[in-house]
This record gives sequence, C-alpha cells and structure tokens, in this order.
Amino acid sequence: MSITLLFQLLVNGLVVGGLLSLVALGLVLIFGVMRVVNFAHGEFITLGAYATYLLVSQTGLSPLIGVPVAFALGALVGWVVQVAVIAQVTSRPELDMLMVTYALSIIGLGLFAQGFGGDFRSYAAGPSGSVSLAGVMIGWRSLTVLLFSVAMGGATLLLVQRARIGLALRALALNRDAAASCGINVVSGERVAFCLGVGIAAAAGSLISLIGTTTPTVGHEWVLDGFVVVVLGGMGSIGGALAAALAIGLVQSFTSFALDDSWAKIITYLLLYATLLLRPHGLLGRRGAEA
Amino acid sequence: MISVPNRRSAVPGGIAAALAVAGLAAALPWLGVSSYGQTLVYYAAYYLALGQAWNLMSGMTGYVSFAHGAFAGIGAYAVVIALNGDWRMLPALFAAAVAAVLASLVIGATSLRLRGIAFTFATLFFQELTLLILRKLPFTGGPGGLVLQQILPTWLPYVMMIALAAAATIAVAMLRRSRLGLRILALKGDEAAAVALGIDATRIKLALFCASAAIAGLAGAAHGLFAASLYPDVVFSVDISLVALAVPMIGGVATAIGPVVGAVLYVGIRELLQVVAPQLHLTIVGLLLLLVMLFLREGIAPAVAGSIRRRVRGAAVPSPAPEGSR
Repeated sequence: MSITLLFQLLVNGLVVGGLLSLVALGLVLIFGVMRVVNFAHGEFITLGAYATYLLVSQTGLSPLIGVPVAFALGALVGWVVQVAVIAQVTSRPELDMLMVTYALSIIGLGLFAQGFGGDFRSYAAGPSGSVSLAGVMIGWRSLTVLLFSVAMGGATLLLVQRARIGLALRALALNRDAAASCGINVVSGERVAFCLGVGIAAAAGSLISLIGTTTPTVGHEWVLDGFVVVVLGGMGSIGGALAAALAIGLVQSFTSFALDDSWAKIITYLLLYATLLLRPHGLLGRRGAEA
Repeated sequence: MISVPNRRSAVPGGIAAALAVAGLAAALPWLGVSSYGQTLVYYAAYYLALGQAWNLMSGMTGYVSFAHGAFAGIGAYAVVIALNGDWRMLPALFAAAVAAVLASLVIGATSLRLRGIAFTFATLFFQELTLLILRKLPFTGGPGGLVLQQILPTWLPYVMMIALAAAATIAVAMLRRSRLGLRILALKGDEAAAVALGIDATRIKLALFCASAAIAGLAGAAHGLFAASLYPDVVFSVDISLVALAVPMIGGVATAIGPVVGAVLYVGIRELLQVVAPQLHLTIVGLLLLLVMLFLREGIAPAVAGSIRRRVRGAAVPSPAPEGSR
C-alpha cells in the first residue's frame, strides 16, 4: 500500500470519524444528563439534512449557512419535543423512556418517508473540487465537513468543560440528586442538554447532506454507528466517545477499501458485541456506568 | 404498578375461550369466508404470535428487544432452506426454532448478564448484522433471496400460524399466573432485590429469551411458508421488529389479552392506511405507541378492563353483588 493511499484512507476515516463524533457527542450529552437513550437522534440528523437540502435548493443559499440553520431548527424542535414529551416520562422506568424515544423515531421516519418519498436528494451548490496536499487529494467538501466537525466538537467540549452551564451538566451527569441539592436546576439542565444534543445532531445531518445523499433513513443509518461508538466509548463518557468515533471511522474507511462497505458494517457491529462481552463498561467508561 | 394475579379460576375459562376463538379462526377456509377475510385473520395471527413472543421476554422482564424481526427472518430462511433440501415439514419447523434459539443465545450470552440497556443495544444491531451476513452467505441466495420449491396447500401455513398464536397466548396466560411468572415480574420490578431473594436472574432471562426467540422463529417459519419467496430486505425489514414490540406495548404489556387487542388494532390500522397513506403507517403506529406510553402506560386492554371493573364495583357499592355472580 503506497503512502499516498494510506493518507487518503486516513483522511476518509477522519471525515467519517468527525461526523460520528458529533452524532455520539449529542447522544452522550443526552444520556449522561437525562439517562435517556435517544432513539430519535437519527431523525434529528435527517431533519438537519432535509432542512439544508431545502434551504439550498429553494433559496440558492450556500449549504454552509445550512449548518447553523439546521442547528437552530434542531434545537427548537428538540425543545418542543423535550417539554411536550420527554419531560413527562423522565421519572418513569427505563422501558417507558426507550419506548417513547423509539415512538418519536418511527413517527419521524414515517413523516420523512411521506414528505420526501424514497428519492435520493443532493445539491450541487457549495464547495466543490478538491485540493492536493502532498499528493493526497482531498475534496473541498470533505475538508469542509472535517473542519466544521472539529470546530463544533471543540466548541461543545469547551462549553461542557469550561462554561458554568457545562459544570451544571457534568454535575447532573455525575450525581443527579447531589446536583439538585446544590441548587442546580434539574429541569432546565435536562432541557439544555437535550436541545444541545439534538441541535448538534441536526448540524451533523446538514454536513452529511453535503458529502452524501439525503434519504428518509439517512439519519437512522448514521445513528446506528453512533450507538456503536457510544457503547464502545463507555455509556456517558465524552472522551471515550470521541476516541471510539475516530477508531470506527478509520476501521470503516480501511475495511471499505480492503473488502467492501458491507464488511465495514459487519466488522463495526462485531466490535460492538466484542465490547459488550469483554469490556461492557466501554473502552474509557467508568465501571458500573453500563447499568 | 404490577397487578398480581389473584383469580386462578379465570385461567381455564380463558384457555377455553382462546381455544374456541382459535378453532373458529382456523376453520374459516372451510366456512366459505372470502380470501380477503382470511388474509386479515392470518395477519392478525402472525402479529399476535410475534407480539406474544416479544411479550414473553420484553413484556415480562422489561428488557426491550429489537431483534424479534431477525428471529422471525432466521426462522423463515431456516424452514425454506430445510424444505428445499428435501427435509420433512416437522424437522424443518424444528430447525427453524433451533436456528432462532441459537441466534438468541448469541445476543443473550453477550449481554444478558448486563442490565437492560446493553441488552437493547445488542438486539438493536442484530437484525442489521444478520441481514448483512445473510447477503454474504452462499446458501441463502444472497441479495436475490430464496424461493420455496414445493407448493403447499394455502391452508397449511394459515392453520399453523393460528395454532402458534393461540399456543403462545395460552403460554403467556399460564406463565403470568405461575410461580415462575411471579418471579419474573419481581425481576422486572426490582432486579437487585429479586436477586437478593435468591432468584437466578440471568438464567431466567436467558430461558425466557430462548423461548421467546423460538416462538418468533416459528412465526417467521410459518410466514415464510405463507409467502413462499424470501427477499432479504423484506424478510429483515425493521417493520417486523416494530410489530413485535408495538402489538404488546399498545395492547397491554405483560398480559395475555393485551397483544390480542394490539394485533387486531394493528391489522385494522394497516388496512385503513394501505388505501389512504401507506407511508404514514409508521407515523400512526408511532403516535399510537406514544399516546399509550404517555396516557395509558399499562396498555389499552388493562386500561379498559380497569375502567369496567371500577364501574362494576362503583355500581355494586350500595347493594353488594351476590356471591359467585361472575
């Protein structure tokens, strides 16, 4: 394998890994703070992708504007969903919460299928062509996605690690009751975590529409890999999720090249089973966090 | 939260009723009912069998499975491959159940020692993984699928499915009233406390999951015979796992009658939407599931039964009902 090819595959893996880390970041935020596995996460990705597609194809604006628009739209819809539905069941058993986010997911799937049909949607506007870095050809679109992923992931990390609200979120994730007794507002903390998480998902969907085609199930496909990342990284561990996202991105990139896309998926899922069997608390997760 | 059964006498009556309904449904082909009517009854039985299979594991224990569609698909493939290999019907059906149980052991062994969410994740990917692997295997026909070589009488899968649905419903009813059933519900209520009382949680969960997979595998097998041609993307579509879960959740989880109500409702909704808006079927089922979870969390059947009981009791307060009036 030539060194150029190696770098090419590396870059492809980083692009997928960057997007996966955004998806996983949202899932981890929501799971960490609310103890809810958001099965509807994929539909927020799809929402962002279609929002960007519509924006670009209807108004002719750059798809890069679609990223913040998708974020805002995702956060808004997330707020409504959180207040109207999720907040009603957060004190219920796990089964109920799973069923509620799952129900939201299939509601979304049906709506997208009804509204957009099974067509593959894409657009020509936005960055195009490619740039050559030391013999490695990188598409501008891929590079844009990579840069946006790093910027958004970095901003979220800063928010969680440095800002006051981030401190509150981390406290809630660590110990909900203790956080509440210290005066942290649990209800608004959960609301912020959910809005932020699904906002990031929608923004990721916007980026996905840039490098791929948009279908009613595009988010569903991405979120499955996102779940693998979250389990691999240890439920609720942000660092673990980021590391696992990059690892999965690279594994998929190299397997797709060496074998094919199906094998890339098969190996990804087998990694999930191996993790559950050998390290159920994930690669970097805390022991006991798997419960 | 969990209503403990107290009327043991209700079981034989319920079983007799279930057998009578099943017998009547199974006799429809010979009673001159239109083939459209028969198809509706068939699908209700198919959904009921899948729903009871899911109910047996996930409804009773609270461990949510998204893998029941995969078990059904594996059962369908196993029975068609076996029959095409000139096996007799009974061994072929047995092979379908065994294949589904083996698949459930893969998930169970990796994740049932863990708590709920790890199990759910392990099931979530199983369907996709099975589909991807089936497409790669040499003897499954790849992406093109498989066709059943022999022509079976149409009543055979029909009667099979109704018998299976009835048997699964009766099994859930009997389990619900047994000592084992109480232990399982204790696990669902508080696993740590139940384990402390000496209940072997992992063994019970694994046994239930295997039984549940066997029923789903047989349902898939009967449906494979009914459909006679298997396309991997149809056999392993997410819809089947959704049916398995939505039917008991909507009708009433951890009860025998709930999935019956759920299955009939589901077939009704599907038929209505087939005409009006086929794509919206997911949305409507999702909305129904959401409304049930938010407002009738025990499901429709227990909610209706509860309100009838309250009304009867309310009316009986001034003049107590005579003994044995039920």
